[in-house]
Amino acid sequence: MEEKRVEAVVVTSMKKIISIVLLGYLSLGFCYAQTNNTYKKKVLETAEVDFLMSYYTQDGKHASVTGGIGNEKLTDITPTIIVTLPLNVDDVLTIDAGISAYTSASSSNLDPFDASGASNGEDDDDDDDNRRYLAGETKGSPWVESSGASQQDVWTSVNVSYSHSSDDRNNIWSGHVGFASEFDYTSVGFGGGFVKMFNEKNTEVGIKGQVYLDSWSPRYPTELDSYLEAGQNLNNGFFADIDILDQAGNIIDKNGANVWSPLNSTLINDKSRNSYSVSLSFSQILSKNAQFSVFFDLVQQKGWLANPMQRIYFADRANYYVGNEASINNYTSPTNTDVFQLSDDIERLPSTRFKIPIGVRLNYFLNEDVSVKTYYRYYFDDWGIRSHTASIELPIKFALGKFTVYPNYRFYNQSAADYFAPFETHLSSSEFYTSDYDLSKSESHQYGLGVKYTDIFTKLKIFKLGLKSLDLRYAYYKRNDGLQSNIFSTAIKFILD
Amino acid sequence: MIKKIIVSILIMSCFSSCMVVKEYEKINLNDPDMKLSSTLVKRFETNFQVYREGASGANGGKTGGGCGCN
Repeated sequence: MEEKRVEAVVVTSMKKIISIVLLGYLSLGFCYAQTNNTYKKKVLETAEVDFLMSYYTQDGKHASVTGGIGNEKLTDITPTIIVTLPLNVDDVLTIDAGISAYTSASSSNLDPFDASGASNGEDDDDDDDNRRYLAGETKGSPWVESSGASQQDVWTSVNVSYSHSSDDRNNIWSGHVGFASEFDYTSVGFGGGFVKMFNEKNTEVGIKGQVYLDSWSPRYPTELDSYLEAGQNLNNGFFADIDILDQAGNIIDKNGANVWSPLNSTLINDKSRNSYSVSLSFSQILSKNAQFSVFFDLVQQKGWLANPMQRIYFADRANYYVGNEASINNYTSPTNTDVFQLSDDIERLPSTRFKIPIGVRLNYFLNEDVSVKTYYRYYFDDWGIRSHTASIELPIKFALGKFTVYPNYRFYNQSAADYFAPFETHLSSSEFYTSDYDLSKSESHQYGLGVKYTDIFTKLKIFKLGLKSLDLRYAYYKRNDGLQSNIFSTAIKFILD
Repeated sequence: MIKKIIVSILIMSCFSSCMVVKEYEKINLNDPDMKLSSTLVKRFETNFQVYREGASGANGGKTGGGCGCN
């Protein structure tokens, strides 16, 4: 009886509390409505989820890991998820997480002699601490993909960003932090930005600052790393059971006067690679059908800006090989499958780089079915690279706007970096040198086509997610040094009901 | 170079005094295909270009950093 009475009191009290809270909430809402007559539309109405994926393949004959010649085959799959959440009417949180799983002939040739996988040893690197090669059995080639530990790897990345819009939606503040990691590289990034709109939202200016504090976990070409690990003695470690050949194909005397040795006895002495950038943007509506924007970046990079995996071969130093002597004269041909030239050094580049890219976009709405999107960028840096990029895309709608196709073309050219020279042409007296064809004089053309399906009513449901759009895109890229690549991309956007 | 940048900024500021397009007149400009930013699905193309080319930035994407790329 007593228990029932207590229960009734508790229930009554709870009812009272709930009534008071509800009344308070309603009266607060009423007061709020009285004092805030302006209706604020949410910056983002509902949560969005984007699933993205790309499949990239490339092939070429100028692998930088093997000094500017060799197989550049690479495949990369990049699943990514982006979740965008409205925190309240003004604030949006975005979480962007992705991985990039790749296999690369080029990076596998960090250890070109590895037939069975370097990770079969004690550790997971490419320097073959405990394996022993028998004379005559050791083979490698810049044209053959080895099966070293670095043949495949995964790059993972997480970014979190937050934005806040002012009541009149004319000011937007944003900030972000990010982390990325792969087997030889780690990155921590953060930044912030501010966008101001005025002139009835016809004009927009923005400023953004970004900092990346990156660091190498350096992996070196196996012969350089092993040589230094063995105390610079060819009778120890990796080279103990391996015959080294000279240019004529003769086995050298490892205790003689003419032996292979790298140019430098130190590899990386600074593992940091930091980037600081300031980006300015300006957008302007020109008419009811045209608008443009200008982007201007200032980027300063500091630290070890060269890639420690990339080999250099000097013209003024004698050449030494491991493998089949009969193939030495055929070394630079893709038919060479069984001889590898020992490198003279890793690439070395200045510890600073200052970049200035300036880009312009101009979009024009031709009619309800067709728009024109154009882009141009001029880029220059203090390494001597000057570059022009131009692209055009024509979105064409059909089926009452449910589908859009995107034929597009992109042109790119650049001058060479001051420190670039091809295989076997650098001089050892130089302070800086690279044979990375990404820094060479080049021109490229990219042809692409995309298709987008849009359903503004999100009729198709998967659990609580309504499909808003589906993008498919393909591009073919061809560089005039022979590099070719294909990329398929897809993006699916869902709205949370 | 700095002079060119200043001149460019002055030219751009002139545009802001052009005709003002009212919100209700922005139907065409608000079309998703008229956005002045890059689309989400294009991010992968931009990423591989950052690796394969010496130039980067001024497109709302990466300017350098965050990867062992150029």
